Amino acid sequence: MKKSLRIYLPFVSNELKRQMAYKGAFYLFILISLFGSFISYYLWMAIYGSSDQAVIGGMSRNEMVVYVFMVYVTSSIVTISISDWVSDDVVKGTVAMNLIKPIDYRFSLISRALGDMIYRFLAPGVFIWIGLEIYKVTVLGMAPVTVGGVFLYLLSCVMSFLIYVLFDFCFGMIAFFTTYIFGLQLAKDALLSFLTGQLIPISFFPEAVQRIFDFLPFSSMVYTPVMIYLGKYTGETLWFMLLRQAAWVVILYVLGSLIWKKVTKRLVVLGG
Amino acid sequence: MNTWKRYLRLYRILITQFLKTIMQSKVDFLMGLLGFFFNQILGIAFLYLVFEQIPSLQGWTLDQLIFIYGFAQIPRGIDHLFTDNIWLVAWRLVINGDFDRYMLRPMNIFFQVIAEKLQPDALGELLVGTILVVSSLSKGIVITDALHAALFVVSIFAGAVIYTSIKLFFAALAFWIKISGPFLQVAYEMADFAKYPTEIYAKGIRFLITWVIPFAFVAYLPASFFLKTGTSAWVIGVECGIAVVFWCIAYAVFNRGTHVYESAGN
Repeated sequence: MKKSLRIYLPFVSNELKRQMAYKGAFYLFILISLFGSFISYYLWMAIYGSSDQAVIGGMSRNEMVVYVFMVYVTSSIVTISISDWVSDDVVKGTVAMNLIKPIDYRFSLISRALGDMIYRFLAPGVFIWIGLEIYKVTVLGMAPVTVGGVFLYLLSCVMSFLIYVLFDFCFGMIAFFTTYIFGLQLAKDALLSFLTGQLIPISFFPEAVQRIFDFLPFSSMVYTPVMIYLGKYTGETLWFMLLRQAAWVVILYVLGSLIWKKVTKRLVVLGG
Repeated sequence: MNTWKRYLRLYRILITQFLKTIMQSKVDFLMGLLGFFFNQILGIAFLYLVFEQIPSLQGWTLDQLIFIYGFAQIPRGIDHLFTDNIWLVAWRLVINGDFDRYMLRPMNIFFQVIAEKLQPDALGELLVGTILVVSSLSKGIVITDALHAALFVVSIFAGAVIYTSIKLFFAALAFWIKISGPFLQVAYEMADFAKYPTEIYAKGIRFLITWVIPFAFVAYLPASFFLKTGTSAWVIGVECGIAVVFWCIAYAVFNRGTHVYESAGN
């Protein structure tokens, strides 16, 4: 345990340092991704304005405001695309170096992602979160989130993070078969933004589709923590949701190991 | 006249070379196409789900919104197809010093930049846009007389020019600040606001996307002219005016930039 900490901690801190070095570009990207949140904010306000019901898809107008921005906070810390790094390593051939070192490649990637996650949590995640809480209490007149709620949300977020990176690792394995993963990544991002509930709460989907989603890992990535934050899950449902997340972590971990074994057998690296 | 002929011939030669590299990797081409296609289709799926809950969005019906959405993709796709190389000026070519090669050849520099690449990914956007617009025609919500048909072509062309101008302007900043990619990205992504009727936004945002970075004139405003909403034809006139003005500014800045360009050295 102590040994692996010594090995993988540098991956975490290096990534953190690397991110700190390119702050300028990073803040502009935050601005861009916030565009999306503001577009959906205004869109939802217009939608609620055009509806004769106060509650749509199980959400009130105020809850939707919280939903839109908490989705932003959650997805910014959870969706760390390690498949980018995998495809980079494969294209450049540096993946070979990772194979001969006495470290677990996947673990090193996840450690890097963890550094990224911490950075994104500190900037801008936590500030937008606090800002949203203040707005929520003063303007929307809703009750502030409880300490227990914050704890459960963060717990759920950590599992979401693991589900996402483990899934993305499996996805990144495609890089071993094609060099142009950019297009696929675009398709993945688009699909995920839909299936994880980033674009629209999953409660808006038809019943039958929701049943199918229950058997896929995607709703556990972003939707579950945000719903927990909103206090939509209580009692048994809450524990069931958390357990389901834990189950997905295990399943995707095992799946990733299997694929990795298969893929590294057929790997050919040119030059050195 | 001869210069035109020469440039057309050069364009054909350069693009043929580029197409050869694409033919080498057909899978990549298909995936890029798929990526952009998916991206757009899901935006429509979103609208469908929302309209399960409400009859209309501030007076707009689902069919109308889909037309606006589809219409917005066409000028975007055209610009994306032909001038994608401008992104490289913003991110790489200036800071690397690779821009040298354009300076050395006896050809128009802007022409060289765009003639180097066609972006086939854009076909995904064009495909979605065309499908949505054509399917809207059968729903009888679009005015289809000769005047509107002619202005449709004009508007798409002007829209593409506005896109190109905005891209060129922000990319040209790289001549002074070396990497202007992030700024270009911010400006470019603002186009997403114009996929929906701009009335839903706060005044500040509406002003910004109508007059400062005028994507509303590429998508929502001309689209509403083709819908039966009584928007005057002036909107297309203003769009063309903006296209000309923005193009002149962007091209002037780009030209000025090529004069201050200094290579990376070695």
